Amino acid sequence: MVKDYYDIRAVFKKTGRAIYISHLDLMRVMQRTFKRAKLPVWFTKGYNPHVYLMFSLPLSLGVSSDCELMDFGVDMSAGEPDYEDIKVRLNKALPEGLEIVTLYEPKTKHTEIGACEYTLEFYGDRSADDVLSLFNSFMAQDEILIEKRCKVNMKKTVVTIDIKPDINVLESRDSDGHAYISLRLPAGIKHSLNIVSVSTAFETFCGFEFDKICINRTKILTESGDIFS
Amino acid sequence: MLKTKIEKLALRSNKPSRYIGGEVGSVVKDKSKIDVRFAFCFPDTYEVGMSHLGMKILYGLKNQRENFWCERVFAPDKDFEKLMRENDIPLYALESLDPIKEFDFIGFTMQYELSYTNVLNMLDLAGLNVRASERSETDPIVVAGGPCVCNPEPLAEFFDLFILGEGEEVNLELMDLYAEMKKLGKSKSEFLAEASEIEGIYVPKFYDVAYNPDGTVKSVIPHSGAPMPIKKRIIKDFDKVYYPDSFVVPFTDIVHDRAVVEVLRGCIRGCRFCQAGYIYRPFREKSVDTIARQTKALCEQTGYEEVSLSSLSTSDHPEIEELLSKLVDYTESEKVSLSLPSLRVDNFSEEILEKINRVRKSGLTFAAEAGTQRLRDVINKNISEEEILSTCKLAFIGGYSTVKLYFMMGHPTETDEDILGIVALVRKISDLFYEINRGTKGKFLSISVSVATFVPKPFTPFEFEPQITSETVKHRHDLLTQSFKSKHIKLSYHDYRVSLLEAVLARGDRRTSEAIYKAWKKGCTFDGWTEHFNFDNWVEAFKECGLDMEFYACRKREYDEVMPWDHLDYYISKRFLISENKKAHEAITTPNCAQKCSGCGVKKECGGTYCGKGLL
Repeated sequence: MVKDYYDIRAVFKKTGRAIYISHLDLMRVMQRTFKRAKLPVWFTKGYNPHVYLMFSLPLSLGVSSDCELMDFGVDMSAGEPDYEDIKVRLNKALPEGLEIVTLYEPKTKHTEIGACEYTLEFYGDRSADDVLSLFNSFMAQDEILIEKRCKVNMKKTVVTIDIKPDINVLESRDSDGHAYISLRLPAGIKHSLNIVSVSTAFETFCGFEFDKICINRTKILTESGDIFS
Repeated sequence: MLKTKIEKLALRSNKPSRYIGGEVGSVVKDKSKIDVRFAFCFPDTYEVGMSHLGMKILYGLKNQRENFWCERVFAPDKDFEKLMRENDIPLYALESLDPIKEFDFIGFTMQYELSYTNVLNMLDLAGLNVRASERSETDPIVVAGGPCVCNPEPLAEFFDLFILGEGEEVNLELMDLYAEMKKLGKSKSEFLAEASEIEGIYVPKFYDVAYNPDGTVKSVIPHSGAPMPIKKRIIKDFDKVYYPDSFVVPFTDIVHDRAVVEVLRGCIRGCRFCQAGYIYRPFREKSVDTIARQTKALCEQTGYEEVSLSSLSTSDHPEIEELLSKLVDYTESEKVSLSLPSLRVDNFSEEILEKINRVRKSGLTFAAEAGTQRLRDVINKNISEEEILSTCKLAFIGGYSTVKLYFMMGHPTETDEDILGIVALVRKISDLFYEINRGTKGKFLSISVSVATFVPKPFTPFEFEPQITSETVKHRHDLLTQSFKSKHIKLSYHDYRVSLLEAVLARGDRRTSEAIYKAWKKGCTFDGWTEHFNFDNWVEAFKECGLDMEFYACRKREYDEVMPWDHLDYYISKRFLISENKKAHEAITTPNCAQKCSGCGVKKECGGTYCGKGLL
């Protein structure tokens, strides 16, 4: 079949109240946003036509992001896409906390995603120094074991894995009185580590709960370390 | 501070987007510029409450006014309720995340009896006393509306006032009065006295109830100059009444996740078991143009992929075919699917069927309600077996292969023969299918037969009737179960104990308030949810109050008995209900409103399409 749409990749932020929107619900939110924005968005041609949408990487519930990716198509019959116009119309139709940053023609395939970078900010009774030294001891362990639910031969099981080799600490410092840590974790289809597994493992290690941990995804990178685009 | 707490805890709950607001279409205002804040509470979960049309209408209506702010409140699921209680989070509204205890009004919509304990639980979560008499002058005014308040007596202890009938005008009148009196520095009791003068407002504390030695109501007497009877409100010009052009679009999947346009109010049919068919009278319709305009506006604002027409019986719209052609043209061009949930069998024409087919093939559902023609005549469900079969035939030729059938058990005069009639009807439908699809291999008809227990309700001709007893229910369930053997026929029953409780609460008096309170204290909430329903707690609660559930559910009332709701005027006359009850026992049907006005008591002045027709 002749391709009758232009591919577009959107980079969007997911912050504030929008961090409670699950990955599954995000699909629905975006489909409705396209309808509200009245864009000539491409529909699948199947028995039950729906807006074609693809998200590169899921984001855990409660985690914010500056760099989420979503691919969609616009009908060729509507002419060359005007990125600025599409951005303005989508942003007008999106709920609070979701915002398109930029739009472009995709250059790389989703399979080339290799890593993500995150920042974590810890809020609670403990001082920033306390938290940072706890984090140093956390990382100084020989191994950091977590239990991971997965399917082995179609059967649901729990396996214990060591996540330490996958945690790459980029920065850790005191930021306005609370601990600020930035990490790089593997992501993509071959090997990935969920940031929430790391923060949960750290809380377990600490033996107490923080009032709040703000986690933000800041970059999605290719295997060679470039910004994925 | 509350916001931070909520944000943190929400992540530990199931589906947190239900507890945080921020949806497209939600209205956030600057509270310093607001005169009256209204917390609109739905006493069930977010998924159920967000599907309710009445809330969407009143939310939009109130928020259209600059000086009013209406926010949404739902019952938290048990997991989040536990977190809220452990962390001292009071019940809050989703738009501002402010505690509802700070609001001017807390309003509940009472859609079904089994949500009563949730009201108490929500008031308690808000940090308020559940009994109106124990709340202070500075606490919010707690109000309720919706179909269940046509007999508000079991709830009388918990509310300051009830709003009877349709809310579009009276809600604004009530809030305007409040704004005015608040400015003048008047007290809550002064406000309630003034409010009781508004048509459609019932302030229960201004009425004294006396009982006979046998436990029936002796009299209801107003004091403090309160009006008698208290009339419900009716919107006279339904075509022009306010309708929202925007909905709050949820993030998470809810029960009915779609745009909804109300096309009719009231029903012409007069099925004798159906409370909605009487309390929403008279029948009024919106014009085709109005419906088309509202459909377009809502689809554009929400971005929904589906729009549904709401009414008690959509095919009774006087211009149904024109309406559907117009809507299908629009929805097809916009790739929106159109659903018509309330179609009746008898006027289900080939043309309508074809139009639905152009959009999407959904299931075929018939509410036959009773198995034999005699019993359908008793309940005035005026459809014949031929009509059911001819519609099935059309549908089967059109490719349908699933049929859902709804029946009720325990109608007045019902016998075992009527139950066997259900079996016979299902067999005939099944035979018809295999006759039409003869020679087609591997094609099966799947039929689901759902049998509910009949619950007699106020303001219906069956308000006098006893509910069927548990022994008879058991016997008749066994009879049915033994008769259906095929694996393609799925038979399901409602839990009789749930229907019994519903019957008790529907026709209860003021004394049942105490039993509701006790049941809630014992831990009853979400009684409509099978996994949470605890019948034993209810039985104990009634016993402790010295009340007998059977007295309310299974007792026949004489025509001259004073009903607990007799001081409320829903325009349906007692004389009419008695005459319909007598006709039911003789299996005589009554023509529908479009055929001939039956003189039910609703006046011509109320704006009904057919009122007075054929009477002259």
